Amino acid sequence: MRIPRLSAVAAAALLLAACATNTTGSGGTAKGAPGTGGTKIGFIFVGPKDDYGYNQAAFEGSQEVAKAFPDLEVLTAENVPEDDNAARVMEGMIRKGAKIIFATSYGHRDPALKVAAANPDVVVLQQGNIVDGTMPPNFGTYFGTVYEPVFLAGIVAGKATRSNKLGYVYAFPISQTLDNINAFQLGAASVNPAAKTYVVNTSSWCDPAKQAEAAKSLLSQGVDVISQHQDCTATVIRATEAAGAYTVGYHADASPLAPKGWLTGSEWEWGPLYTKMVRTVVAGSFTGSPYNANFRVGLKTGDNPFVQSPYGPAVSAGTKKLVDGAKAKISTDGSPFLGPVVDQSGAVRVPAGTVPDYKTIESIDYFVGGVVGRIPAS
Amino acid sequence: MIVVDVLAGGVRGGTAILYAALGETLAERAGVINLGTEGSMLTGALAAYAVTAGTGDPWAGVLAGALAGALLAAVHAFMVLSRGANQLATGLVVLFLGAGLTSMFGAAYVGRAISPFQPYPIPGLSEIPWVGPIFFDHDPLVYASYLLAPALWLLLFRGRWGLVLRGAGERPAVLATYGHSPVLVRYLAVVGGGLLAGVGGAHLSTAYANAWFENMTAGRGFIAVALVIFAAWHPLRAVGGAYLFGAALALSPALQARGYGFNQFALDALPYLVTIAALIVLGRRQANAAPEDLSRVFQLTPTR
Amino acid sequence: MTDTAVEPAAVRPKTVDNRPLRWIGAIVAAPVIFGAFAAAKGVNPVAMYADVLASLADPVQAQTVLVRGAILLLAGLAVAVPARAGLLNVGGEGQIVIGAVAAAGVALVADQRLPGGLVLVLMIVAAMAAGAAWAGIAAGLRLAVNVNEAISTLLLNFVAIDIMLGLIYDPWKDAAGFGQPSSRPLEDTARLPLFTTGGTVNAGILLALLALVGVWFALRRTAWGFRLRVVGGNPEAARQAGMRVGPLLLSAMLAGGALAGLAGLVHFAGTEFKLRPGMTTGFGYVGFLASWLAMHRPARVGLAALLLAAIAMGGDSLQIDSGLPAASLNVLMAVVLLVVLGVRRKS
Repeated sequence: MRIPRLSAVAAAALLLAACATNTTGSGGTAKGAPGTGGTKIGFIFVGPKDDYGYNQAAFEGSQEVAKAFPDLEVLTAENVPEDDNAARVMEGMIRKGAKIIFATSYGHRDPALKVAAANPDVVVLQQGNIVDGTMPPNFGTYFGTVYEPVFLAGIVAGKATRSNKLGYVYAFPISQTLDNINAFQLGAASVNPAAKTYVVNTSSWCDPAKQAEAAKSLLSQGVDVISQHQDCTATVIRATEAAGAYTVGYHADASPLAPKGWLTGSEWEWGPLYTKMVRTVVAGSFTGSPYNANFRVGLKTGDNPFVQSPYGPAVSAGTKKLVDGAKAKISTDGSPFLGPVVDQSGAVRVPAGTVPDYKTIESIDYFVGGVVGRIPAS
Repeated sequence: MIVVDVLAGGVRGGTAILYAALGETLAERAGVINLGTEGSMLTGALAAYAVTAGTGDPWAGVLAGALAGALLAAVHAFMVLSRGANQLATGLVVLFLGAGLTSMFGAAYVGRAISPFQPYPIPGLSEIPWVGPIFFDHDPLVYASYLLAPALWLLLFRGRWGLVLRGAGERPAVLATYGHSPVLVRYLAVVGGGLLAGVGGAHLSTAYANAWFENMTAGRGFIAVALVIFAAWHPLRAVGGAYLFGAALALSPALQARGYGFNQFALDALPYLVTIAALIVLGRRQANAAPEDLSRVFQLTPTR
Repeated sequence: MTDTAVEPAAVRPKTVDNRPLRWIGAIVAAPVIFGAFAAAKGVNPVAMYADVLASLADPVQAQTVLVRGAILLLAGLAVAVPARAGLLNVGGEGQIVIGAVAAAGVALVADQRLPGGLVLVLMIVAAMAAGAAWAGIAAGLRLAVNVNEAISTLLLNFVAIDIMLGLIYDPWKDAAGFGQPSSRPLEDTARLPLFTTGGTVNAGILLALLALVGVWFALRRTAWGFRLRVVGGNPEAARQAGMRVGPLLLSAMLAGGALAGLAGLVHFAGTEFKLRPGMTTGFGYVGFLASWLAMHRPARVGLAALLLAAIAMGGDSLQIDSGLPAASLNVLMAVVLLVVLGVRRKS
């Protein structure tokens, strides 16, 4: 048959192309400081840019960068999976002239490290993860302390609940999520010691059917405040509002979806941080800068890119004062996880008076007391 | 009561699967298996969501969803009936097509709000203890499915058209001598199956989850096809199977919300294991109950 | 042998001379159809294809096509061998995952204690055995209780992924992974060797080619292969000829599962080096498409795998250059398959 012969020729051509210039990679030797001299900035997102959540926030941040740097073109790629494909997508952007790459999802770290190693003249910034050991000179991770506004939201939830049952819908028991759930419970318990947080997982960052069922099952148990850690947040919020319960948002200000029940929430404002980082890179001062590290910014150290969402109509002035007080305390003492912090079994995980460092917090593997649910023990 | 919650969740979550299973029953009774049912559910879900978002009327959405599901199934019917392609392989390819198209054109609808179907507790009936909340506090599409299953049974086993349809699956040659075209009957059956699968998808997006996200059917179409088999191609038994699977899906959140700790991934696997177990338990009987032409599909995967 | 009720009298068989022309027409039609979809989304199809081809000419991309192609070849063979016996193995996805899990399991125990080469061999054996066993479940269900393997293998895919997730979130979770769900990375010594330093093509491609030759040989030159093809063509005749159909079907599925398990090993020990959520990204299903594209002929499966790998790589360009979601590729692959399936006539 003619076709197989044609395909064989094509296959041979492919092989030749692959072997052709094997030794010259796409990275040359760095001439100036890493990240300088580019014409474009690349952003990769793990999900769609209009998910009303995580990726939308990152996308909006990227557009702020585009506005702040009109002579640099911003390239974006959505739905980039957290695997090898991410490395190729990033390489593709680099080939187009990008010297700064933002890998905006937790699971993009490993491909991002690969890309950074292969391209010493490109600065790769990874959102949400940690690099252990030596940080490459052209790499950095960054994140806000998401659990701080979540802690504050927990205070509002603790005050608003009548049944003392709070609900939290999450995807997987990763540290970021555990931090959020724990902070939520700690915040609620700080103003309402009887409050408990019931958790339901969906094994997906966005499966509307599972989210709907999770919300329903919590509501049927008398939970009257629901929050979540999901990439797309609309389904749970709408189900909660339809049932007349309160909503604590996440990732974005979704108050239009819950006109009666919206309490508060946490949302991203990546623009300022992204812009500051790009400015540093473009000026040639990335290596050795605070961003060339596991950069974390919180209420204590600076402007947290994760901010508290506006309050809804149901929040009383007294509650708002409580939140302000807690915020001030965190800005000085440093953390919602200021000890003593006790886990579900009663063991003390953070001794009284100590504040765990970011690495410890981001490696958390337990639920605090008051959280009702089970995760694999490590 | 956890049992009530799980069963109510079973009805609620199983309805989408039921619609797809009822549709696939029609197709398979006529002798054609459509593994692309999942694709019809996806196109149905997206079309319904998009039209509901645009018009504000979920019923218009359901109509659109039905049409979208039917359209995709028509591709399958054409390939299998007029081009002679292998049924099982074509179904999967059609699924790929549906999944890809809905991803491509659905991105604009993620996060967009719609005015969905609202649950309507039937006065009186919904207050009956146990039975009330399980069956009578749902959205209109669920209630419609209560009527659809027996209607389909009547159609298949008491109506003339049912005879013709089953004839296409059992004795196409005989059917032809009576002046009916088995090919036409099969076309109608497959497209009809896709139409119902589309309604199932519409239920998922405009009544159950009230959202659209790519691949949101998460294997429900495959489950529907499996259901048809272990329901012995019987519409009424498909109801039980669909609700069983729905209940297995609802079990995990119900247990968690009550604080019972179970391995997250074991619970996730449960619905699929339950389906496999049901297939095993009911398997032997099914081999003989299959429409004859369908058996040939199952016996053989042509290699030429 | 037809499997639909298209009455022979109602359809006029096409003449044989037309076929190459129709093939070419088919291959052209698919990109045109997909181009139409892209245009509907506001993308210029010509520019889109130009970008895709340009991105493939890049050596890095080309290498990735080979790496992916090797895995798809194995996944395709995993479908092809059972198909020759008349079985439909849609469980490639799950068998690949189980193979990777088995390899990872062996590695966790052995890679810091035994020499790398030995670990690699053990991993290969474990992956193939595990994949075969996973497929064997479906085969067993088919033989014992007549559960159609297309359905059972599909359902088992979901279960396999849950097994992997359950392992990496708890017993196999990398303690040094900062709470990330993944297993401990494979030691350097046990990884599949690379062909060139700095490149990405690994020895997995050798394993894939070896498997290709092995499958071709087994099907064409062994008694087993002959019996397999007879059963696939006409099980009744096979039975009457005294062949033991049950064990043959079982062996075909086991072989398919073993090949898929090997694909899992190649992915694990050649690219990923650790288990993590979402690591298999549809290889099983695309391998299924490859086998059907090639009508289950081993050599053609290789070419089909390469073609589909190239299309999959083109997805990046679709995203970055044309702004289409990556899943759009499924449309292109499906259209190609539909066109090809539609061209073939059943005799």
